[in-house]
Amino acid sequence: MPKDATHAPDTLLDVRNLSVDFRTPRGRVKALRDISFPIRKNRIIGIVGESGSGKSTVLWALLGLLAKNAEVTSGEVRFGDRDLLHASEAQLRATRGEEISVVFQDPMTSQIPVLTYGRQMRDILYRRPNVTTVEKRRMAVEMLGKVGIPDPDKRIDQYPHHFSGGMRQRAGIAMALLTGPQLLLADEPTTALDVTMEAQIIHLLQDLQKELDATVVVVSHNLGLIAELCDDVVVMYAGEVIEAGEVHEIFHNAQHPYTRALLECDPARIDDVSRKLPVIPGDIPDLTKPLSGCIYASRCQRAMPICRQQTPPTITRGEMSLARCHLLDGPHHDPDWPPPLDVMTVGKGEAGARKPARVKRDDPLLEVSDLNVQFETVGPLRARLKGITQRHVDAVLDVSLSVAPGETVGLVGESGSGKTTLGRTVLNLVPARSGSVKFEGREIRNMPEGRFKPLRRDMAMMFQDPVGSLSPRKSVRALITEPFQIHGISGVNLDDEAERLADMVRLPKPFLSRYPHELSGGQARRVGVARALALNPKLIIADEPTAGLDVSVQGEILNLMTDLQAEHGLGYLVITHNLPVVRHIADRLAIMYLGRIVEEGRTAEVFNRPVHPYTQALVEGVPQPDPDRRRVHVSISGEVPSLLNRPKGCDFATRCPYAQDRCRAEKPPHVTMADGRRHACHFPLGQ
Amino acid sequence: MSENPSESETGEPAVDASGLPDHVTDADIRESAARERREKLRMFLTNWQGVTGLILVTLFFASAIFAPWLAPYDPNALDVPARLSGPTWDHLAGTDQLGRDTLSRILYGGRVALKIAAIGVSVALVVGLILGMIAGFGPRWLDNLLLLAFDTVRSFPTIVLALAMVALTGPSLGMVLAIVIITSIPQYARVARTATLTLKNTDFILAERSLGASMARILLHHVMPNVVGPLLILAAMDVPVVVTVEAGLSFLGLGVLPPTASWGTILNEGYLVIRDAPWMVIAGGIPLILTTLGFTFLGEALRDIFDPRMGKGR
Repeated sequence: MPKDATHAPDTLLDVRNLSVDFRTPRGRVKALRDISFPIRKNRIIGIVGESGSGKSTVLWALLGLLAKNAEVTSGEVRFGDRDLLHASEAQLRATRGEEISVVFQDPMTSQIPVLTYGRQMRDILYRRPNVTTVEKRRMAVEMLGKVGIPDPDKRIDQYPHHFSGGMRQRAGIAMALLTGPQLLLADEPTTALDVTMEAQIIHLLQDLQKELDATVVVVSHNLGLIAELCDDVVVMYAGEVIEAGEVHEIFHNAQHPYTRALLECDPARIDDVSRKLPVIPGDIPDLTKPLSGCIYASRCQRAMPICRQQTPPTITRGEMSLARCHLLDGPHHDPDWPPPLDVMTVGKGEAGARKPARVKRDDPLLEVSDLNVQFETVGPLRARLKGITQRHVDAVLDVSLSVAPGETVGLVGESGSGKTTLGRTVLNLVPARSGSVKFEGREIRNMPEGRFKPLRRDMAMMFQDPVGSLSPRKSVRALITEPFQIHGISGVNLDDEAERLADMVRLPKPFLSRYPHELSGGQARRVGVARALALNPKLIIADEPTAGLDVSVQGEILNLMTDLQAEHGLGYLVITHNLPVVRHIADRLAIMYLGRIVEEGRTAEVFNRPVHPYTQALVEGVPQPDPDRRRVHVSISGEVPSLLNRPKGCDFATRCPYAQDRCRAEKPPHVTMADGRRHACHFPLGQ
Repeated sequence: MSENPSESETGEPAVDASGLPDHVTDADIRESAARERREKLRMFLTNWQGVTGLILVTLFFASAIFAPWLAPYDPNALDVPARLSGPTWDHLAGTDQLGRDTLSRILYGGRVALKIAAIGVSVALVVGLILGMIAGFGPRWLDNLLLLAFDTVRSFPTIVLALAMVALTGPSLGMVLAIVIITSIPQYARVARTATLTLKNTDFILAERSLGASMARILLHHVMPNVVGPLLILAAMDVPVVVTVEAGLSFLGLGVLPPTASWGTILNEGYLVIRDAPWMVIAGGIPLILTTLGFTFLGEALRDIFDPRMGKGR
């Protein structure tokens, strides 16, 4: 294959000195600067980095599919004896799909909705006129079978909307592999999927790579996924490769302070539950400005004066291992760096008061009992015409839950489990069918908006999308002070209040005159917290408070929430799918599946001794950022069934590894155990 | 570009105690908004269509507003000996069959066009915006009812509707205005409704509801600023349509009444004598063409710059 003598024989693709600029109205953004790394044959290589690190830009540069305003300023990408950066458009087209193919992040938008899979896969093989249509179909069916789609010869004639999310991603992988490419690029292949689905896709990719001897490049921000899947790892920060190496080297003996910090910030890795998460302070530098010295110096805990002036040396260790840091070599070499793994190199935010012992009061702040929420699926007229008797689906079914003042309750579930609906129902944004929602002892379910409005001062919500939940044409100052105007609170100086709240959430005052699109995710989240806190509420419902935030930033937000709770005695209902995070902040956990709470109890107990098989699957489903702790098997298969065909018996029976006949016939009631835990399982584990 | 001194020069840590970078200074933030505005202005000024459009539109406004000072003669003053003359030094654009100066009549006719365009489009815009937002945000039955009304109005051909109305009430400037407003409300309302519908289920509207904001507040403070941009561009592109509708109705004798000068009546009168004096039709047509081009160019340039969907690349 490679004829170039300078190539190591096992290098499939070699990225050398790649630099890419983006021309934007703000000036030239130097998105990639002098990137070099080899992609070795028959290995899975992971490119990891936070948002803005340029990891996706590398991927698109390999394929020559950069946006129009991008400009490759230097470098080459050697693929065999070709340079892909300077290849003609015709040559590139011949390479894409045939020799290099891509698995996209979102299978929802990357497949053609109006063509069947059979047609789409036949089109992929259009460069092979001597293969008959029948043969092409046979190849497609075979490939669909390989990626684990049941009945591939029937399902191939279905459209993408017939497939569920996980199935679609499997089909996406099948399409990418159909031409037998030498190199498979996967851009955040599991980000759009649930935890239990993620584990299945990881294993699929691993198996296929072994079976087909393919080379795979995975781009991800998820350290657990990288540790579980990859052989080689490239760590990127702000458009530079700061460290590269084999997976064990990176995860067990990280050389660069950023890699170290990134690993320490991953909540899945931290074993002691301390309520305070480590953070990397600061932001990614502005890439439009001239840069000098080490790119990470402004956030590095070990920064020295030289780091700001001089580009750090590149220390190579092995075939592809390298790290760029002054600590490792040269006059500022520190023989004690890196410290042993159990020494923390990053701070945990401010020296935080541990959570004060809670005043245990008998009256809960929020008490939900037997709540049911239904959504209409067919109109009354159509149901009559078509003879459908069941016009509604149960989004939330018999949910009971309570939150005490000063307590954090985590509500955990996969997408479609009804957890967000439950949060919105509590806030009276979605009407409930039956049951009761009590706030400080007052029944508030389906209260008319006029009477409910004063209560909104006591209950606030943080929304999932930090930037999207801020009105785009309002300044931060106007957004923060809006609650005062809505509730007609006079006698306060709005400017003073804005500054007080900005201080409270540690948002620098100059940001008050910014607009939402000028904020980073973490800053926008702070604004959301400030808005929620403006009127001194008693209860905050936080919907995925860390969604869309980088690992290094999510700690800051969670620490802030913890501090504010200690200060104001807030009750939190944290809605999330992210188990590692919720484990650090929640006092109690409620696990939801298909709109029902299947298990509820104290966080540590739920984690250490799960009672419900679903909880067990969730706990085991979190990929660990440690290549030595790779899972050998996936505990549950399949996907969350649609709400439209809720199983007759236990909701989880279709996927449960321990399911018995009784589970399929009879819905398990909620049982309270001796230690106060509640579960809904006929055959609880460990009993 | 204000350089920030703390980072590169002093070598001090660029991170303050709160964990946020201090390289974001006060000046930087003010600058970021100002720079974006400057950038848009620069994009506009380098767009030849936009600049041409702006010049033509400015000319249109200026000529209409300053017509009494610019016009060499009274629009209705007769110069019988020079009637139906071509362009001469006395009458730069010639005269009509009564010997009235065509240039003066065109300038005064621009005032009619401006009045119709400014009042007609702005009233239609405001009413359309309000109705559209209510339709998009309100209950389903109200939406359906309003849509039915919009579609009913749109289904009338403008000219036929005008003919019928004029037959009932007689021609007048007020009638033309009413017709223009009624027929253009539905298109603004439709656009506003669609934009509101896409906003209705976004997180930030839900966030406002969770804070207890009233419907009026949500519509006025949070929906309108996000909806009004495309509508203004639509309005700019709608002005020439309105101007030609007025000219067309006046041409048919259904618009402004003689002797008031309007571009339509000039064309109408010129049409009668086109074989003997083609100058009148040409002179009356040029401002109409230039205004149409001007507003179309301006509207398209504005859309190219302010509509993010038209942007190139990521």
